[in-house]
Amino acid sequence: MLRAARQQGQAVAKKQSWNVVIFSIGGMKLAARTEDVGGVTPWGKEIPVPSRTPFVDSLVKRDKDVMPVYDLASRLRRALHEDSRLCLVARHVDGPMAVCIDADIPSLHTVDAAQIRQSRRLDIETLGSFERDGEDIEIVALHRLGRH
Amino acid sequence: MSLRGHYKAAAANVQAANFLVIRYGARYCALPSDGVRGVLTKEEAGEGRTVTWVGATYQDVDLAGLLSTALDTTSSDMRTVLFSSGHSRGAIRVDEVIGLIDVDREQCRPLPPHFRREERTWVTGMIVYRDQLVLVLNPEWVLGELGEVVTVGAGDTERRAITGGIR
Repeated sequence: MLRAARQQGQAVAKKQSWNVVIFSIGGMKLAARTEDVGGVTPWGKEIPVPSRTPFVDSLVKRDKDVMPVYDLASRLRRALHEDSRLCLVARHVDGPMAVCIDADIPSLHTVDAAQIRQSRRLDIETLGSFERDGEDIEIVALHRLGRH
Repeated sequence: MSLRGHYKAAAANVQAANFLVIRYGARYCALPSDGVRGVLTKEEAGEGRTVTWVGATYQDVDLAGLLSTALDTTSSDMRTVLFSSGHSRGAIRVDEVIGLIDVDREQCRPLPPHFRREERTWVTGMIVYRDQLVLVLNPEWVLGELGEVVTVGAGDTERRAITGGIR
């Protein structure tokens, strides 16, 4: 019974912390919940698509898979280096979606839920923000990016 | 008038769709082959805003512009595709005509749902051909601008030329 109580306590403790992936776009640090990230791969060849959907105007092909690209850098008004980029695969509600990020390898972190506060940014979909090394990091809601 | 070849991307099948694959730089697009009336070289097409071929007049269509790219006028492979759909005819200059392909309809996939606006009408699907992603374009979109121009501004002679139609 004591063990069961301890396990329940651990489960609650787990829920009280968030596992996030920290990455950067044009030097701006951002985070995403690990469950919203499908993987990180080298950036592939981008194929432009004539489009009026904001920030969705290209596709990337990787082997047999074709994914739409969400241009988060443009939305954040950040410039990415042409030569060194990575592809963050977002688990979006509409299906996997590629987001181009800086070449710095994303890192995994655990953030105490108490540290997460409401985001002040209204221009992108976020789940909150937290402070790390004196820097405010937004948790981007990758699963509903571009859906208002 | 010549097409370089007729390739098969999949085994012949009653469910096959036929496309003419064209290229602008590294972009590949496809048009339904049943609308293709001919493929002309630079010399055959001339420099004018219209192309007259076998008694029919085709208005210049800036497909490169619609795709937000530019035509490589220095390309020795540049061709003009004579295309018609409904009552509209267009002369589409492209960097290269890759050729005619047969594709199983099930291999022609729609755009991902993340594309939510007019582009779903402009681009009717996508296929992979020789490891290249090819966007299948809606002929009505490709020729749509042409239709508006003719209706609003053209004289009777041109209007007849456009609406006369080659079927």
